[in-house]
Amino acid sequence: MTTPSGPRRRLVPAYLATQGRELAPGRHSLDRLSILHAAADLPAGLGGEHRQLWELVRPGALTVAEAAAHLRLPVSATVFIAADLAERGALKVRAPIPSAQPVNRDLAERLLSGLRALK
Amino acid sequence: MVVIVLALLAGAALTAGPLLWALRRAARSTRAAEQRAAEADLSARAAAARSDAAEQRGRAADAAARTAQDRADAADARAEAAEERTHAADTSARTADAHRTVADVRYAAAVRELVHLAHERLPAATTALTHPRTPVPGPLETTGGTEELHHALDSTLTAAVRAVLAERERTDAAARAALRGAASKIQALLIQVRSLLEEIQLSVDDPRLLALDFRNELTLRRVQALAVLSGSWPGMTREDSPLAELCVGAQSRVAGYARIEITNHLREPRLAVAARAAEPVAIALAEILGNATAYSHPETRVVVSIEQGSSGALVVVDDMGVGMEPDQLERTGDLLDGQAEVLLTELGDPPQAGFAVIGLLCRQFGFGCRVEPSPYGGVRAILRLPADLLTLTDPAAPLSALAPRPITQTTPVFDAGDALPTRKRRSPRVPQQDAPSPLPSPAGSTPDRARSAWSALQSGTLAGRSAAHQSPGPEGPAAPEGVEIP
Repeated sequence: MTTPSGPRRRLVPAYLATQGRELAPGRHSLDRLSILHAAADLPAGLGGEHRQLWELVRPGALTVAEAAAHLRLPVSATVFIAADLAERGALKVRAPIPSAQPVNRDLAERLLSGLRALK
Repeated sequence: MVVIVLALLAGAALTAGPLLWALRRAARSTRAAEQRAAEADLSARAAAARSDAAEQRGRAADAAARTAQDRADAADARAEAAEERTHAADTSARTADAHRTVADVRYAAAVRELVHLAHERLPAATTALTHPRTPVPGPLETTGGTEELHHALDSTLTAAVRAVLAERERTDAAARAALRGAASKIQALLIQVRSLLEEIQLSVDDPRLLALDFRNELTLRRVQALAVLSGSWPGMTREDSPLAELCVGAQSRVAGYARIEITNHLREPRLAVAARAAEPVAIALAEILGNATAYSHPETRVVVSIEQGSSGALVVVDDMGVGMEPDQLERTGDLLDGQAEVLLTELGDPPQAGFAVIGLLCRQFGFGCRVEPSPYGGVRAILRLPADLLTLTDPAAPLSALAPRPITQTTPVFDAGDALPTRKRRSPRVPQQDAPSPLPSPAGSTPDRARSAWSALQSGTLAGRSAAHQSPGPEGPAAPEGVEIP
């Protein structure tokens, strides 16, 4: 009553995306950096939020965190939607791309000299 | 005469004998005779006197006798009178006996009526205060000139019922006040918990936070219902809220929310409930959905349809549960119309507060609700929102991703020759009415144009950086069906 969290009071809570489940379905372990691809057509019988997520990733790939931001949902709720779609084969989930390691300068120089030696 | 004879005899003797002596003797005799005569005279007078006296006494006796006769007569008369009075007394005694018998009968009847009042009529009348269908018996006998008695008994009954009602009001008001105080504090705290949970959900991805949020929302709904019942306000204010979001918000407050299927048939997706009624409508709808899920099998669906009529909006909730008996439906109808008095003491144990809450909110905020047997087999509840409670929200404010989109809006079709995209229905779900159903799109920035521009940008960016095997859709810019993301 005294601490409104944003311009509009929340009317639709995010937990609706769980459909009453405690854990997201399926074998995929989704976290906020998992990458989502559209894999197949949208199966029937899913809610509007599934369609929205699928539409979001259809042009390309998005991480769960990005998709959550677009849907204006918490990541934890978006995970449930993505897992539903992945279960039905409409989405592919890829593990997060590991962050790039610093290049070994010595190795690079040796490679460069080796290439030059090929000429 | 005797004296003369004696004197002659004495003279003869005097002549015939010693006359002197004879004379003296005669004289003595005469004197004696005179004396005797005098005595005789005296005695005669005395006798006369006595005779007179006797005569007087005789007269007196006569008088006395007459008096006595009179008295006797009077006594006779009195005796007769006394006899008459005795007779009259007998008669009146018999009459009195008869009256006493009648009085005894009436007394017995009055006692019977009093016992009947105490044991039958009063308990029934007090029960009828809480259960209006309870028959209240009348007096045992209604004939026989006992109107006064019945009037008095009826007055007693009325006074007793009035006293019970007053006491019940007082008790209920006290209970409401206590409840109001507790509910408002708990409600404020739960709303703070909700805000905190919402903040934490943005940074912590643990799904248990979602479960916690749900439990909190369930608790909040209970407390809100109690607050409304206790005469408090709904506890929070909202801005104009889209009806679709309100329905989903209400869905989220119900334990079996996953069984609830909401279909949005609105012609205008931005149709919203005015700020003053937004939260009350959400509470009422949550109570309707709570009833629907509580009284139907856990594996059946609860079907919700959001409709836009010509003079307002409707939310129709059908369950496939056990339904309601006709008298339950009638009682519920009274509660929903606001006709039935709502008392905390009559909500049962555990309290069946749902319909009472809805009825109170309907009356206070000007919307309506009714229940009827559902074609699905259970109960159909219809929430009516009149046009004066409806408005349109700002098109720039996005709808929640979890709110259902109108199913009448199918995939947008872009006209090749038209600069502005226009949305067309493939098949109107409802026959076209007089009202202009496709709203003319205003010039300038529209959601459609904003979306297509944004989608083109997004798809271009994504197409450039994503793997080439995922080609964008054939129509170029992504045109999601009904998705409203500016």
